[in-house]
Amino acid sequence: MSLAERIDEIYRAESRRVLATLIRLLGDFDLAEEALHEAFVAAAEKWPLEGVPANPRAWLVSTGRFKAIDALRRRGRFEEVKAELVNRHVEVTAANAARADDEIADDRLRLIFTCCHPAIDPNVQIALTLREVCGLKTEEIASAFLTSSSTMAQRIVRGKAKIRDAGIPFVIPSAEDMRYRLDSVLMVIYLVFNEGYSASSGKAVTRSDLSGEAIRLGRLVVELLSDPEAIGLLALMLLQESRRASRTTPEGDLVLLEEQDRSRWNQGQIQEGVALVHRALSTRRFGAYSLQAAIAAVHATTSEASATDWGQIVALYDALLSVHPSPVVELNRAVGVAMRDGPAAGLQLIDDIVDRGELADYHLIYAARADLFRRLGNVVEARRAYVLALAKARQEPERRFLRARIAELERAAN
Amino acid sequence: MKYMLLVYSPENSWTPDEWNSCLQESVALCHELAALGQFHGASPLHPVATAHCVRLRDGQRLVTAGPFAETTEQLGGYYIVDVPNLDDAIAIACRIPAVKKGTVEIRPLFPLDGLPAEKPGPASGDLRQFLLICYDDEEYWTAVGPDVHLAAMREAAEVTRDLDSRGRYLSASPLRPVSTATSVRLRDGRRIVTDGPFAETREILGGYYLILAQHPGEAVDLAARHPGTRVGTVEVRQVYTLTDLPESNP
Repeated sequence: MSLAERIDEIYRAESRRVLATLIRLLGDFDLAEEALHEAFVAAAEKWPLEGVPANPRAWLVSTGRFKAIDALRRRGRFEEVKAELVNRHVEVTAANAARADDEIADDRLRLIFTCCHPAIDPNVQIALTLREVCGLKTEEIASAFLTSSSTMAQRIVRGKAKIRDAGIPFVIPSAEDMRYRLDSVLMVIYLVFNEGYSASSGKAVTRSDLSGEAIRLGRLVVELLSDPEAIGLLALMLLQESRRASRTTPEGDLVLLEEQDRSRWNQGQIQEGVALVHRALSTRRFGAYSLQAAIAAVHATTSEASATDWGQIVALYDALLSVHPSPVVELNRAVGVAMRDGPAAGLQLIDDIVDRGELADYHLIYAARADLFRRLGNVVEARRAYVLALAKARQEPERRFLRARIAELERAAN
Repeated sequence: MKYMLLVYSPENSWTPDEWNSCLQESVALCHELAALGQFHGASPLHPVATAHCVRLRDGQRLVTAGPFAETTEQLGGYYIVDVPNLDDAIAIACRIPAVKKGTVEIRPLFPLDGLPAEKPGPASGDLRQFLLICYDDEEYWTAVGPDVHLAAMREAAEVTRDLDSRGRYLSASPLRPVSTATSVRLRDGRRIVTDGPFAETREILGGYYLILAQHPGEAVDLAARHPGTRVGTVEVRQVYTLTDLPESNP
C-alpha cells in the first residue's frame, strides 16, 4: 500500500472521530472542520519524511488543535478564547494515554447527542447528524432528501448557530436526562433509516445509502451505550433491511410481505437482528423499538407466509399498544387479527378506528380495508376502498400497486 | 452564559391556592439558584389586563391598553439565570411550577457592552418595578444591516445609563435572535423540549428593561425612549415585588 493510500485509509477510518474530538476541544464546528482539513494537509507533508506516527489519531488531534490555535491567532481572536482553550487542554491531557482512546470514542457519542439535541429543529438534527457524525457531503444529504443543496446548507448553518449561540453543550447527558435525550437520538436514526428505506422516489442508490448510514449510527450507539431500546432499534433496522432485495420488483413495483421471495432475504442480517431482539427483550426494560423488532423477527424467521404465527404477532402488538398507544399500531394489530381470526374480525377493528375519526388521511387504512373486503369477496367495497387509498397515497410505487389492484378487481367483475 | 426564562401560562387557570404555592415554590427555587451563584433576578408580572403597549410611528407616540399579542397563554413572569449551558437552563425551566401547565421559553442574553451594573432588588419608597418587554421587527433590523442595528443597541445602552443616573434602572439586556430560542413544557412528568419561541409572531421578543417608576404613566414615558419603539413595540408590565427573593448574584 502506498503512503497516499494509507493516508486515505486513515482519513476514512479516523476523520469523523478526530473531528468529534476537535469539536469538543475547540467548541466550534467550523473551526474544527478547518483544523481537521489542515491536520490532514500537514500529514500529507510530514508523514512521507517522518513516517506514519504510531498513533495517527492522536497525532491528527494534536496537530489539528495547534493549527486551530494558529488560525485564531491570525484572526486576533486568540486572547478572547485562550482561557477556555487552556481549560479544555488541561482537561484532556489529564487523561492518560490508555483512556484517550475511550475518550475519543465518547466524543463521537457526545457529537451525536449534540447534533440530536431536542432544542434543535428535527429536520436540522437529521442534516447535522449526517453531515457532522457520518461525514456525508451537504450535496449528498440534499439529494437523499430531495431538497436543494442551498436549503440543506442553510439547515446545517442554522444548526451550528443554534448550538453555538444557545449554548448547547458538547456532553453525554446525565443519567437523569438520558432517557429523553436518547429518545431524540434514536428518532433521528430511525427517520434517516426510513427515509432511505420506505421512500422509493429519487436516486435509489443514494437513498439506500441512508439506510446504511442509519445502521452504522445505530451500531455506534449500541457499541458505546448498551441501551435496550438502542439495541431494539438496531435490530428493527437490520430486520427491515434484510428484506430490501425482495420488497420491490426490478421495475420498482412493491411486493407485499406475503408475496415476497423469502429465499432472497439476507440471512446474515436476520441472524444478527434476531440475536439483538433476544438481547433487548432479556433486559426487561425494552420499549416500542424492541417490540417492533420482535414482530419483524417473527416474520423474518418464518420460511413461508402461510406458516406465520399470527397469534404471537397479535400478542406483540398488544404489548406494543400498551407501551406506545397509537392508531397506526392499532391498524397493524387489526391486520394481524384478520389473519388470525378472519377478515371480518379485522374489518370490525378497522371500522372502530375509522368511527373515531382517526387516520382519515392515511392511505394504508383504506388499503387495509380494501384488502380485507377483497379477501371476503366483496368486490364493490374493495374497489371503493382502493380508490380512496389511491386518492391519499403519494409515493409512486404505492400508487402503481393500488392502480394494479383496482384493475384486477375490475377484470374480475367483468 | 446568561439566559432569560420567560414563563407563559393561561393566566385564568390558577386558583388562589395554586398561585400561592406556585409563588412559594418559585421563591425557594430562586434561593437555591442564588446559593449556586446562578441567580440574576425573577418576578411574577401583573395580569396582562394591566399591560400597555408603546409604539412610535412618524414621531407620534401610540399607547394602547392590553398586551402585545393576544395568546391563550400569557407571559406571567421571568427568571434570569447564569449557568454553564442550555441543558442547565432546561433543567431549571423544568422546575418552574408553571412549566406543568404552560410553556417556558429560554432565550440567551446578548452580551452588550456599556450597560450599567445590575442594581440589587426592589427599591424602597414609592417607586414600583416595571418590566419593559421589547418586541422587535427582526426582519427590519436584518434588512438595515448590522451597523444600524449596533448603533440602535448603543443608543439603548445610553438610555439605560441615563435611567441609571436618575435612579430608575435595575437591569436590561438585549436577547440573542429568536433562532436561538428553545421552548420547554412538562406534561405527565415528560419533558417536551422544542426549537423555537413560545409563539411565532412577526415582531419578536428582543430584549428587556427592568426599571423603576412612580406610576404606569411614567413607565410608559420611559418605555418610549427605547429606540426599538420606532419600528417595534414595547409592552409595559408592572412587576409584583416579592420581599423574600434573594439578592441577585454579582
